Amino acid sequence: MKWSLKDDLLILEGNNSFLLTGRAENSFLLYIETFQDETSQSVQEDDLVVVSCPEGGGIEPAAMLLELVRRYHTPLVVLPKNHPGSSRLKMVVAVSREILTSCSIRRRTHPEQHLLCSSEELTGIHLKGEAGNVIADNIPKGVSIRSLPPFHWQLHYK
Amino acid sequence: MDVEYTERVKGKDYRCKSCGERFKAVGKKPTCPSCQSDDVEME
Repeated sequence: MKWSLKDDLLILEGNNSFLLTGRAENSFLLYIETFQDETSQSVQEDDLVVVSCPEGGGIEPAAMLLELVRRYHTPLVVLPKNHPGSSRLKMVVAVSREILTSCSIRRRTHPEQHLLCSSEELTGIHLKGEAGNVIADNIPKGVSIRSLPPFHWQLHYK
Repeated sequence: MDVEYTERVKGKDYRCKSCGERFKAVGKKPTCPSCQSDDVEME
């Protein structure tokens, strides 16, 4: 299935979890910061920014996280393995042209960047950005999909 | 925030042929974080 997206978002919802996705819209360098070093990722406009909320939660914070990455190019800070703070983080973000969701990987520890941790009910979904569209395949039964307007900050600080 | 990442994926080492900057990058189009040039080579 194919959806045409500009700056709006696509949400894929199960009963207890969801994925929120949007196009990167612009080319930019995304910085990934670890304790050891810094890695940069060249993001293209049709790459997807996907936020996974395997335990559910609010759509608004997920949209904020997505916009922090795609609009404000906020660097991603990676905690070391088994850091106690990991259990407090309920959202996972991935940036790639193609993304495959999986419930069988441990959060933050899979070997390929195009794999994204998801709940069991949203596992196996294939998302791809292509010429202004998001193509979603292998959608499990019972998952609903709808588009949302982009998140706009309610307050403007200048 | 959390990120899908792994200790085994740390990026490849590149050198910018325009400004000489050495950096790590992932993805298909590595770009120099210093001068934004994509004229880079893997080290």
